[in-house]
Amino acid sequence: MKGFLKILALTFFVLITLWSSAVGQLYGTNTFEFQFGNLPFEEDTDLSTSYNQLNLYYDSGKFSLFGKAEQFLSLHTERNYFQLTQKRFQYQDDNFRIRLGNFYETIGSGLLLRSYDIPGSVFESDFYRTRYAFFRDLEGIAFDASLDWVEIKALRAEPLQNDLPPNFKPDSLRRPDLLEAFQANFFPTENLSLGAAVMRVNTPNSSNYEEFASLMTNIQLPANFQLFGEYAFSTESDLFSFNNDQSYALYSGLNYFKGSFGVSFEYKNYSNFRLESSGFNDPPSLIKEHTYPVLNRSTHVPNTSSEKGVQAEAFYSFEDGHSLVANYAYTLNNVFNKKEYREYFLEGLYKFSDEFSLKSFIDFATDEREGQDNRISLGLISDKSFGNSRNVIIDLQYQTYNEFGSSDKIENYFASLSFGFTSAFNISAVFEATTELGLTDNPSTFPEIETDTRTWLGFYSLYRVNTSNSVALFVGKRRGGPACTSGICYEILDFEGAELRITTRF
Amino acid sequence: MKYLLLLSLLFGTLEHSKNEVPNFRLKNLDERTVSYNQVKGENLTVIDFWATWCKPCVKSIPEFVKMDEEFDDTQVQFIGISIDGPRNKAKVKPFIKSLGVEYPVLRDSDSSVMGRLGVRAVPSLLIINSDNEIIYFHEGYKSGEEVEIKNKILELLEE
Repeated sequence: MKGFLKILALTFFVLITLWSSAVGQLYGTNTFEFQFGNLPFEEDTDLSTSYNQLNLYYDSGKFSLFGKAEQFLSLHTERNYFQLTQKRFQYQDDNFRIRLGNFYETIGSGLLLRSYDIPGSVFESDFYRTRYAFFRDLEGIAFDASLDWVEIKALRAEPLQNDLPPNFKPDSLRRPDLLEAFQANFFPTENLSLGAAVMRVNTPNSSNYEEFASLMTNIQLPANFQLFGEYAFSTESDLFSFNNDQSYALYSGLNYFKGSFGVSFEYKNYSNFRLESSGFNDPPSLIKEHTYPVLNRSTHVPNTSSEKGVQAEAFYSFEDGHSLVANYAYTLNNVFNKKEYREYFLEGLYKFSDEFSLKSFIDFATDEREGQDNRISLGLISDKSFGNSRNVIIDLQYQTYNEFGSSDKIENYFASLSFGFTSAFNISAVFEATTELGLTDNPSTFPEIETDTRTWLGFYSLYRVNTSNSVALFVGKRRGGPACTSGICYEILDFEGAELRITTRF
Repeated sequence: MKYLLLLSLLFGTLEHSKNEVPNFRLKNLDERTVSYNQVKGENLTVIDFWATWCKPCVKSIPEFVKMDEEFDDTQVQFIGISIDGPRNKAKVKPFIKSLGVEYPVLRDSDSSVMGRLGVRAVPSLLIINSDNEIIYFHEGYKSGEEVEIKNKILELLEE
């Protein structure tokens, strides 16, 4: 049987290469990751796992095919899988597209529906301990078309519940909801867009559909102002009744720019608007997305049961390369009782020469939902280049806050030192420390409670072999926690050991 | 064995394939859907993937603005693609305009085009020829690398 499959593989390879050269084009990416180690405090400390993700695209004129294959292997065979996790057929020309299979689509600003892909990310939960690609796609059929004065899209699909791994059984629980949606946006003038969407959802164990609708607009105003907004609601709720017993989501924004100055204002008001059961909608959080590690972890995930708030952000770029960013965000949750989130952020980039720059930030926040009071975060990053190919980056960050109801002061430290030898080779060392009790304590020693400062030290290297291949190696301890990328927040696990990642583009 | 099938497919195609940019469709900053064919250049097209939250992008984008001013649009057409999701949608336009960007900027809010072109991180820069083939790929940015990118553009223009 094995011999037969080998011959089949060889035959398949010959046919595909001949076919792809003659008829269309075949492209892809592959990510292979090998880990040796485990979560800190967990056995086996020498657990080894491998994960591979292959994305293949075949294009022939206006037609294209796509497939994503994932494989996970570990000593715990019940966690292992090999699966075709996405496949798609697509036909597209300049004004028209139809997709069949797995695809991504967003209705309006995501108040009703948002799907996404985080390319290159590998997700693992503490419960299943299986690694897989992190995305929330839709499986079904979608159609969209555009003319000068109108754009429409329609879909019938099942969204993925991405906290369940690909080998979860029964498979039907990974896609419990069925959606049908239609959106139309009209452009009566060059500066005005008016849109509407309707969506109905069939949830598990229910023969009925829940129905939702949305109204949206985008207006280009004189003097570089842009105004936009969306109001989504359950069709069982009273229209434009903003009572907290109604089901609605209102999101609007205004932005402006002039010369080197830009500013944006946003407002949100969400009530009873988490669309069960797979949570496929994603109303904007209106909290700044930080990439600084101490702040990225301290994010705020909207509670769409009851959340109101505002966000304002201003940018200014100086001619000599300096820039400033200021941000203010306020959120009020009112589920069982009122909880406030308030954040002030200021960031500066100072370019002293083409070879030397400094960046600094200061952030002050109060997060009642997370029990964090007077949270202060600071950072200073220096970047020194030597010619066009070498550079040194020193990144120092600190965070402290008081826990509500406690006099204890929590502290987080982050420090990294990176060397870039050419644009192709980087090495860095990252040190982190915390006094958070939830992280300093080793649960396996219960009832003993460890309170000593906990530290992580890890070493990274990245070598880009050529424009198609790269090799990354991590050795040491890596701190996990909440992380946000492209507006999507998820939990990543701690890791202690060695990790090798090979990425190929072909 | 199933995996062998895929691996043989992967390695078997390595020498044959040259990644072409499909005629993707994305929204611009005025919320209108445009296709790649509508915004690409006649000769070279440079696509810069970026995001408002990406720190190196704040340094790299002003360098691309300078290059965009330097090169004739018929020779080199720059296109910015923001991967910001709805969470940062409001910031994209004022942010990019405050950095002086005049070239077309599109929004890949679900990162599907990013994934299709094999981009894994921002900033990433691709140079595409008139046959839609990706002929140069640069991931990340640190000060001084704009010289390498500019030299590559000049070299490709001379070919």
